[in-house]
This record gives sequence, structure tokens and C-alpha cells, in this order.
Amino acid sequence: MSEPRLFAMGKYLAVLPSELRYCKNHMWCRVGEEGIHTFGFTSYAVRLMRDVYFLEWRIEAGQFLSARQEIGFIETQKATSGLYAPVAGELIQLNAEVLQDPSLINVDCYGSGWLFQLRADISETLNVDQYHAHLESGWEPTQRLIKAQMNKLGLEE
Amino acid sequence: MTHRRLTVVISQSPGKHPQKRSLEESIVAALLGRPEYEVAVVPNLYDLGPDHTGLLFLQAVRGNLVVLSWLYPRAAFWILDRHGIKGHFGQTRLGQSEDTTEERETPSSEGIEPQSTPGIGPSGEIPNRWIYPLDLRDAERAEDVLAEIERITLECQQRHAPHPEGNTASTVSPIWVSLGLALQRNGSVPAEIDHLPAHPGVSSDTGEPSAPATFLGPTPRRWYPVIDYSRCTNCLECLDFCLFGVYGVDAWERILVENPDQCKKGCPACSRVCPQQAIMFPEYKSPAIAGAEIGAGGSVKIDLSKLFGGDGGDALSLAVAERDRELINAGRQAVGMSVGIPKRQAHKADQPKDELDKLVDDLDNLGL
Repeated sequence: MSEPRLFAMGKYLAVLPSELRYCKNHMWCRVGEEGIHTFGFTSYAVRLMRDVYFLEWRIEAGQFLSARQEIGFIETQKATSGLYAPVAGELIQLNAEVLQDPSLINVDCYGSGWLFQLRADISETLNVDQYHAHLESGWEPTQRLIKAQMNKLGLEE
Repeated sequence: MTHRRLTVVISQSPGKHPQKRSLEESIVAALLGRPEYEVAVVPNLYDLGPDHTGLLFLQAVRGNLVVLSWLYPRAAFWILDRHGIKGHFGQTRLGQSEDTTEERETPSSEGIEPQSTPGIGPSGEIPNRWIYPLDLRDAERAEDVLAEIERITLECQQRHAPHPEGNTASTVSPIWVSLGLALQRNGSVPAEIDHLPAHPGVSSDTGEPSAPATFLGPTPRRWYPVIDYSRCTNCLECLDFCLFGVYGVDAWERILVENPDQCKKGCPACSRVCPQQAIMFPEYKSPAIAGAEIGAGGSVKIDLSKLFGGDGGDALSLAVAERDRELINAGRQAVGMSVGIPKRQAHKADQPKDELDKLVDDLDNLGL
């Protein structure tokens, strides 16, 4: 297995394992058998959100999701966000453990903190280099958004 | 003359979030031993229907009122206003950093509402009392809330507000249906009491309050717009835009939410077309629509939805798409931009973009 790529978010280095596929909404995808793949948040996403407090899904196993369909909601130390399907596909299962204890996302985002499995066509997903490039091109505006919002909201550390 | 009791009402979290429920219970428990407070527990304020006993209780309170809820203060305040529970907006310091609190003046007891706002203001007479909506999400611990209630108590005493004419809180006898849910595990209250004690919540031997008044009748989840009349200019664009008959006007041609339950669950479209951001959906995920005071220094969380794949697009396109979706769900024809589109939107590009517009544009260009 080759070395993971790193993406610098200020002093923080987001780790991007090279064997994974990636989606533009900052989810990773681990290619599985019979077209069933596992998805979770990248360490980049987790760093933006900080500690995850609360996770809620609006979908059930067996349901067909369209790409970018709103599928849930997350609340973290610093942020809230809707959650959106990274690709179209059939939901095979949600990670029940992470629903019980969302902090798994914080401690092991590429392992026990996985989110769900989809039977899906993942040909549109990115490899690690493409995802790294995607992060680079988006980093400037993302930083501006977060800094300005935090200033406005008095959330600066 | 003794100081009047301050009524503290806890509006429960609609879900069964254990941490939230635990905070509610801690606050109730701490306030119960305090004769200067009248404590009541109601279900989520937003969900209360017009006949709910919790609402009848709130309407009977005449004195100063602290409302603890899981809603933004603006949202809670104007939900109460809609139900005829009116007063001056009591500014909380909960969740505010020190430097901003220094600048805040206690409003004069002569003042009606903040004068700088362009809105038409609440209808009818504003009784001479203060309503303090506190957002429990601003509190990390029960102690934070209790300290703020103490501060409010002092502020109310210092204000020397004369009693409003007519009856006072102490003479009102609402129906006290004590389910005692919050405290039954302490063994002080049986699980269900269904009688009317002479002095509700006060134990007969010690005179100390032993249980909060609870009005926890079932409340189906509701979804409807809440108008902030301190911002609303009565432009009636929401009336034109909504095709489900939610809005109407009163006898004075003032906009009102006439048929709240005709509103389509999850759809915040009218809020997006409101030029004053006066329409709130208190349970919508985006803080601005849910009633957050953006920039007011509250501990609002940032919304990262756009980074994680949420739809971009300008507010009007979003609103039109949301409206079309609801029309189709209701078996009607989508109307797109053909009906009820505010004319000002055609000139929207003329307005200078504010900082947030620019940021959002940046995100749109990310091409998620």
C-alpha cells in the first residue's frame, strides 16, 4: 500500500489514504465487492466540522438515493450541515455504531467511523490525486467562508 | 410589597435527545426550591396548537416571563407574539461574549420596541412586561442558565416596572395538570396527578415548591412560518408568493399567518423571498432562516452544507424550486417563475453584494 497523501489545512495535515476513492462532497469511498462500496467522511471534512455531536439519517436501507439527495443532518462542535448522497445508488446499510456514538467519526474517520454502504456506480469518483487537487482549488474560498462566518458568529478560538 | 414572582417556562426539546432533556431537568430541579420563581414545563413551543394547555398557561401569565427553549430567541419571541403573548423583548446575555454585553443598554421601561427597526411592529398594545427568550443551545451547563435567570431577576427588579392593570400572575389559576415527568424519579411527585391544588406546585407542609407545572399534552410536530414584525414592512410579497393559502391579512391589512397548518412541511420558500428576512422557520437547518441573529454574537454554528454537497443557487431559484416541488407533491402544476415573483428580484443585481453574498458566490464556484 502506498503512502497516503497529505493536505495542509494551516498547520493541520489532512491524511488522504491513497487506496481510497473520493467524492467532491468530502466523503471517501472504499471499493467493495459486488458493487457495494463503503463511504465515510475524509479527515479534511472532520477537521472542518470538529467534534461530531449528533448525526441523523433520513434514509433507510433498501432505499435508492439520487446523487446529492439530502440524506441526513450532522451537528458538530462548530457547525451544522445537511448530508448529501455522494453518488446515486441503493443504500445497503447505515453504520449503526456511528449512529449510536458519532464520536467514532472523530477518532477513526477511515475505519470504524464509516457512514454507510451503497450499491453504486462509482466511476465518477476521484482518485487521491484528483481529490487533493480538488481540495487545493477549493481551499482559499473555503477558508474565507469559515473565517468570515466564525468572525461574525464570535466563534473564533 | 413583595416582588412578584418571575415565571420561568421551559419549552422542551422536540426530540428525545438525552443531553437536552437532562439539561432541562437540571434547570427545573434547581429552580424548584426557589419561591421567587414560578416554573412550568411545556412541549416545544413551536408545536403548541391554539388549544394546548401549555399555551393557555402562557397566555395567563401577566408578569415578566423567561422562556427557555431550543429555539433562537427571535423565533421564540415571535412564536409567543403570534399566540397573543406579548411584551418587550428582554435581551439575554446567555451565550454572548463579555465585550458585547457591555454595550447593551437595559431598555427603558417607557420604550415600546427598538426604534431603529423598519418593521411595522407587533399588532395591538404591548403590555408593560418583559419576555426573555433564552436559547438553551447557548448554555453549556445548567449553571449558565441559572446565573442568567438570576441576572434577569435583578434586571426586572431594578426596572421598577409598575404592575400592569388588572390581574397579576399570582391571581391567575390555570389548570394545573402535574404529570411531574421531569422530577418523578426523585420520588417527590407521583407519575400522574390530575387534580387542581390550591397552590400549584407548592407542597402544603413546607410552602416550598415541589414540582413544576407541566403541560405536556401530546403535540404533533408542526411546520409554519413565524413573522418577525420588528422587521416585516408589510410588503405582502410572501402573500403573493405562497400558493398554499398560508398567508392572509387582518382587518387592518396587516400580513398574518392565517392558515399555518396549510404550510408544506420542510418548505422555507417564502422565507427566502422575504426582502427583510422577517420570516422564520424555527426548525429549519439554516440558522438565518431559523431566526438566528447573524452577526449579533450569539453562538450560532456555521452551516457547512454547501461544502458537503448542498445545493447552491440564489435564494429566489431555491424558493421557486421548493415551491414547485410542493405544488407537484400536492398534485398541482409547477409554476416556476410565472407566479408571485417579486419584481424587485429583477433588479437584485443592482444591490451591492454583502460579504455573505460574496462568500456564497465563492462556494458556488467550487463546483461541488
